[in-house]
Amino acid sequence: MAATRRSFMKFASLAAAGSLAGLDPFGSLSAFAQSGASDYKALVCIFLFGGNDGNNLIIPTDAAGFANYKHLRGPLAVSQASVLPLAGQSSLGLSGAMPGTQALFNKRRLAVLANVGTLTQPLTRAQFLANQEAAPHNLFSHADQQRIWQTEAPVGATDTGWAGRTADLLSASSAGSLPMVVTTAGSEIFTAGRSTFGMSVPPNGAGVTGGACNEGINCTIRLNAAQQLLTFSTGASLVQADQTITSNAFRYATELSSAVKDAPALHTDFPSGNPLAAQLEQIAQIIQVRSTLGAGRQIFFASLGSFDTHSNQVATQTWLLGQLDAALLAFDSATTELGVNSKVTSFTMSDFGRALTPNTVYGSDHAWGSHHLIMGGAVKGGRLYGTLPTLALAGPDDAGTDGRWIPTTSTTQYAATLASWFGVPPPELASVFPLLPNFNSANLGFV
Amino acid sequence: MLRCFGEFTGSLAALLGFPLRTVFPPTNESSALPNRGLCKVLRTSYDSIMTRLPNRSRTHAPVPLRDRRPGRVRRLRRHLAASVLPAFLAPALLTSANALAAAAPAPSVSAAARLLDQATFGPTVDSIAHVQQVGLERYLNEQFALPVSTVPETPLPPFPSYCTSANACNDLAWWKNILTGKDQLRQRTAFALSHLFVVSFNSAAGADFPDYQNVLARDAFTNYLTLMKDVTLTSAMGSYLNMGNSGRPVGAAIANENFAREMMQLFTLGPNRLNLNGTLRLDRDRQPVPTFTEAQVKAFALAYTGWTYPSPLAATQNTLNKSDRSHRGPMVAINSEHDPSAKALLNGTVLPAGQSAQQDLAGALLSIFNDDNIAPFVSRSLIQHLVTSNPSPAYIARVATVFLHNAAGVRGDMKSILTAILLDPEARAGDTNTRSQGGHLREPLLWLANVYRGLDAYPVSPGLSAYVTLSIKASHLNEAPFHAPSVFDFYSPNYLAPGTSQFGPEFMLEDGAGVVQRASYADLITNNQILPGLRVDLSNTSTWGTLAANPASLVDALAVVFMHGQMPADMRATIISAVGAVKSPAQRARFAVFLIVTSPQYLIVH
Repeated sequence: MAATRRSFMKFASLAAAGSLAGLDPFGSLSAFAQSGASDYKALVCIFLFGGNDGNNLIIPTDAAGFANYKHLRGPLAVSQASVLPLAGQSSLGLSGAMPGTQALFNKRRLAVLANVGTLTQPLTRAQFLANQEAAPHNLFSHADQQRIWQTEAPVGATDTGWAGRTADLLSASSAGSLPMVVTTAGSEIFTAGRSTFGMSVPPNGAGVTGGACNEGINCTIRLNAAQQLLTFSTGASLVQADQTITSNAFRYATELSSAVKDAPALHTDFPSGNPLAAQLEQIAQIIQVRSTLGAGRQIFFASLGSFDTHSNQVATQTWLLGQLDAALLAFDSATTELGVNSKVTSFTMSDFGRALTPNTVYGSDHAWGSHHLIMGGAVKGGRLYGTLPTLALAGPDDAGTDGRWIPTTSTTQYAATLASWFGVPPPELASVFPLLPNFNSANLGFV
Repeated sequence: MLRCFGEFTGSLAALLGFPLRTVFPPTNESSALPNRGLCKVLRTSYDSIMTRLPNRSRTHAPVPLRDRRPGRVRRLRRHLAASVLPAFLAPALLTSANALAAAAPAPSVSAAARLLDQATFGPTVDSIAHVQQVGLERYLNEQFALPVSTVPETPLPPFPSYCTSANACNDLAWWKNILTGKDQLRQRTAFALSHLFVVSFNSAAGADFPDYQNVLARDAFTNYLTLMKDVTLTSAMGSYLNMGNSGRPVGAAIANENFAREMMQLFTLGPNRLNLNGTLRLDRDRQPVPTFTEAQVKAFALAYTGWTYPSPLAATQNTLNKSDRSHRGPMVAINSEHDPSAKALLNGTVLPAGQSAQQDLAGALLSIFNDDNIAPFVSRSLIQHLVTSNPSPAYIARVATVFLHNAAGVRGDMKSILTAILLDPEARAGDTNTRSQGGHLREPLLWLANVYRGLDAYPVSPGLSAYVTLSIKASHLNEAPFHAPSVFDFYSPNYLAPGTSQFGPEFMLEDGAGVVQRASYADLITNNQILPGLRVDLSNTSTWGTLAANPASLVDALAVVFMHGQMPADMRATIISAVGAVKSPAQRARFAVFLIVTSPQYLIVH
């Protein structure tokens, strides 16, 4: 059994301790919380910041395929012996850093989606070379491509993310007492809706000490005054925005505190020294108290960084994929322990893939389409969805001459498939995903 | 006209609640002379303040707190009397004093404090008084002339007892400089530049930090092209964005594009074509126009090949230095590793084939510097960091125009750009109009620095150990110096403050977890329970504790230091009431500070 109480509990229990956040000034749990929610689903986005190299995530294993891979990747090629076989796949395997993921694939709780990326419409190499404007704006730019993945709209077209818009649609019926979208990785546009906002909680064990008050019996006086200051208008919208964030922070802390008061510790051990695992552990703890919070639907955002492997890629990426693997495996155990393995679907996103061609310092540069993982009991796992790119420079999938794959599946289709499972009704899909009508299939069938 | 003495006596007594002589012990000068003499005393005390910065002197003269508190309190009372008091209770005082000196009208306390909130790591009682005395423009010129506070080379292992890693040691010197350095504008500008030229020592080698920070600080008042060149050749940037050891590509390999892309996208031009006023230039389909193409990125990547780290022995180098490298000084060219082909860069610039690495680098950076996108892009960025998240197009255009050519016709002159940013009518509008829009959220590092500086925090011992764990505390507020999650920095310039249509980049760090943690730190700072080595004096007998006899006096004085003397009336009434509800002067002081520095009204630097 994990001995420590959880950091959000720490974060929340500051509330109970007579602190600034603590004196339950904002009322008790809402009506939703008290009514509870009978059915439950959660989406967990794991954003691999920097652009994960899918070419070293899914690797050819047949003799000809591996020889071609090894030739084109040069110093970036991993050893053939390290590649993990995947059940039912005769010619491809998984990065040697991911034995847990391999096991989940083989148990059919994890699927791979090949060569998915940002697109406004289907695009062939010939079409792209004839008209590069047909591609999303600022390809290969981290900020722009992250934004497209998170918003599912052209850059500049919206200030909301697709999780936020989904929450706009479903919050009234299913959010419970706290926001539907919860981030353990800071504020991202993914979480912003038109009428709803995400809630931020720290990862587990973040060293956060909570809202101390060393003023004894006079804490109440200070607290009341602090809260009163949040109600005064200065006419400045930035001040008002900060007042809203601040009063929400205290309200959420209070509600979480109530919710976790009697929750037992999880038995699942999450690996230490793993920033993603710390986030997923926190997420598991929030899922644990979903009934108390009255949450019928939740969307979580977690992240792992440093995938921008312009140099010394093999060592760095192997280490990062190892962290991802251990975190996924622990989270699968935790959701099983909580009895919600088939109600929680986790999936990866990332800025873009990376060029197949190495650069001169054993790294790879920004590219486009890449492979992604989807995990959970509801996932029709043990399969590869989408179409693998032909590993050939200036080949049919190359946007140029360095092996930067033109995606054959769009991020919009990927996200819409997840949102459909989550409960966005078909007539509403196009309002959340405005580009979806540009593609043949609105549901990729992996969940 | 000469109302100096009378104003001073009456209002001082009203504010401080004790006889004048306890503030100004009788001296020959002040006791003997009438009005004009006291005005002179005030000015003399300003000068004396500048010649012995309190933090600096404390650092070098460690004295146990209880032994020196009386002297410290006396000095602070004097500073407070000399600076805060006349400005917000008797504005006529300074006007008359300056009339005597036939100088321009003195800036108001609000103007002085606002400028300091924009141009430094936080106003102090002393610095507000000084800016009021010399005026805004002369203050900037004084700051331009001050020598740079540098950070020392990273110590070699075994590390000093108080820091356990290269990064931990480095950060301490940075904190010391930003909290106590005289060259505040330089340090603040270097900080703003660190948000542009991002190197994160999450992955860069800690030992490269001192050279990097020192380059930013040294070049802060030079020319943007100088900054571009010097930053490019630091070992820190070389390793962070992989230009270091990016050799001539052979066989299937391609030149590393990391630095080539981000130099344009993040450090100089931005991804999209801009008008002079920072608005997007759109094509016929109303779509943004990319600033550069992938082909140009590849050409720049080739132009940047052939640079390596200096060797520790400063020996002549003929090959890329891949192992034992120095962390001092610029990278060096290895022309055999430089790609010799011709490169088509921006706006028709072509580097001819056969140039050296040095020639290609100079040509590449000039091609970027001469692209007019640089003016609105960099101007907006610096304005956002120093003044407001939402500058008007006209404000950006005025600054960008100065970027393109200052009064002497020079492009990229940093002093002119900074002066244009800080003295622009839009930056100064809030000096007199408290309801003018604008400003930006105080990011965590600025919050910590501002609170500590405003409370005149002091280290209990000399050296760097006082600043231990400050970076860790800051990281719990979602920011730590030079440790951005990626080259895209801690926040995006185009992030909207939630629920608004206004840009609020720093709001990316303003989440529920951080807000609660910050309130906790405000409690711990005011109670001296956060850092063992860096303390604030809010005791019963401190300046603030003494003022607390009258809650309104206490709150008004703190409002000058933290809110430019512009605290809204409803906020003032609430805090005075809360302060008045507790008895102990020290607790009153703690409450007032806590309530101010956790309030959104203060957190938005107006």
